[in-house]
Amino acid sequence: MSIVSVKLTNLARRFVSPKGNRYTAVQNISLDVGKGSFVSIVGPSGCGKSTILNMTAGLMEPSEGTIHVFGERLKGINRRASYMFQQDALLPWKTVVGNIELGLHLRGKDAKESRELALQWVDRVGLKGFADSYPYQLSGGMRKRAAMAQAWIVKPDIVLMDEPFGALDVHTRLRMEGEILRLWAESGETVMFVTHDLEEAIALSDEVVVLSAGPGSTIVGQYGVDLPRPRNLIDIKTEPRFGEFYRAIWSDLRKEVLKSYERSDEA
Amino acid sequence: MSEATKRSVPMLVWQVLLGAGLLSLWQVGVTYRWMDKFFFSRPSDVAERVWKMFATGSVWAHLATTMTEAALSFGIGVFAGVVFGFLLARNRWLAALLDPYIRIANALPRVVLAPIFLLWFGLGIWSKVALGVTVVFFIVFFNTYQGVREVDPVQLDNARMLGASERQLIRHVLIPSALTWIFSSLHISIGFAIIAVVVGEYLGASRGIGYTIAQAEGVFDTTGVFAGMTILAAVVLLVGAGVDRLERWLLRWKPNRDTSARQVG
Ligand SMILES: Nc1ncnc2c1ncn2[C@@H]1O[C@H](COP(=O)(O)OP(=O)(O)OP(=O)(O)O)[C@@H](O)[C@H]1O
Ligand SMILES: [Mg+2]
Repeated sequence: MSIVSVKLTNLARRFVSPKGNRYTAVQNISLDVGKGSFVSIVGPSGCGKSTILNMTAGLMEPSEGTIHVFGERLKGINRRASYMFQQDALLPWKTVVGNIELGLHLRGKDAKESRELALQWVDRVGLKGFADSYPYQLSGGMRKRAAMAQAWIVKPDIVLMDEPFGALDVHTRLRMEGEILRLWAESGETVMFVTHDLEEAIALSDEVVVLSAGPGSTIVGQYGVDLPRPRNLIDIKTEPRFGEFYRAIWSDLRKEVLKSYERSDEA
Repeated sequence: MSEATKRSVPMLVWQVLLGAGLLSLWQVGVTYRWMDKFFFSRPSDVAERVWKMFATGSVWAHLATTMTEAALSFGIGVFAGVVFGFLLARNRWLAALLDPYIRIANALPRVVLAPIFLLWFGLGIWSKVALGVTVVFFIVFFNTYQGVREVDPVQLDNARMLGASERQLIRHVLIPSALTWIFSSLHISIGFAIIAVVVGEYLGASRGIGYTIAQAEGVFDTTGVFAGMTILAAVVLLVGAGVDRLERWLLRWKPNRDTSARQVG
């Protein structure tokens, strides 16, 4: 039995609407994420993907259930995880290199070494020449790359990524996905990756987890994706086995997406 | 940037022209007796008086007093405002508890406090400083409070995930984020600090620009009153320009902002 880095047991999370109604976003979420594996979570918009990541990050308390990180019950912030947020989260008053080195700085690492390492990461994510730029001077894709370096530089055991490439064009996206896979393969870190793009999920992951439509969203399918690695992201989508995975998972996901459409029409 | 300078050069010319035009009108109006010199004085007389005040050096002691009082009320007011702003923004319970009292205190017209402060702190600088602080504090406090409350929660979460302690959050996220708000309050409060201490001096002092204005008024010396006002205006503009530069440097991470619309003081 391999090491489990994140173990979610019967997680549920409820929200109280401004009118005082209780809304169950997710429930009965149980999931083991093996050390070093790349797991994607897919599901219709608003089903609770970010909620699950927020709880795993320790930023949000579960209403029910427990989270274990490398066997230890999670209390407060998850110190072994980095989090690449769905929204823009760079600090606008810090330069690119200042943002990238922030994690090291906050951990009290030597300033000079941190700066050197951060500059290496600037190059690594293709931001050469932009080290001293401020976030507002970067394009959306460049900001995402800086955020990526910011999350990976601290060598976390777990990386949480919430639709990191949602707003990017196809080409930039393909490049960034490649970079993520390379980083992941080099580091042996555990990745929990949220996306609503099934192709992206299959292309990148060892395992794809499908969530049902909310409210009360839960896991309705788990698929191991044993396509060989290293993967060629440009060609992988035309491979026959990729198609098989896609059809199998899509038949599950499709139902949930349709349900979520119906519910939003009713509302 | 070049676009902005292109436009601001002619604007400066227009601004100077407007000022010169108004002053000339005033000058001519008094010279040709459309306006009574006794009530309105004359720009040339005022300029001459200002020059004389500096030439004889009589103004320095007054200016120094006023500036010391303004600087003290500004410093104390900003410090207290920022600290309280942070405290209440980070502590909902305390904020809710103090809310009605802060509103009441802020609603009081500050001028009525001047005589009380005179009684409490005497004729010296501290009664003026106290008056200035009551003005500066609230402006800075409300802006800091607002600024801290408006911090992007995702940026806070991000810093937390990267390992920030509560103190590091304040240093790396809350202060920089609130700085925009704090600066807009500094622009206003510098002007108000000077106004408040001058009002204080005007109502009872033995030194300061406000005192010289009160003295001039006492003998119906309009030229002296305008001279005092001119000096005050110049000081407010100078200090405001300093704050502008500091702000531009500290907020250099912001996309080009239009600062020309903001008034100084
Ligand atoms: N802080 C909150 N307060 C109230 N309701 C919330 C809060 N956060 C999330 N929700 C609700 O919980 C549900 C799940 O939200 P979540 O952000 O996790 O969805 P998601 O799957 O990440 O969606 P998307 O793909 O659009 O990002 C939504 O219905 C949302 O309205
Ligand atoms: Mg989301």
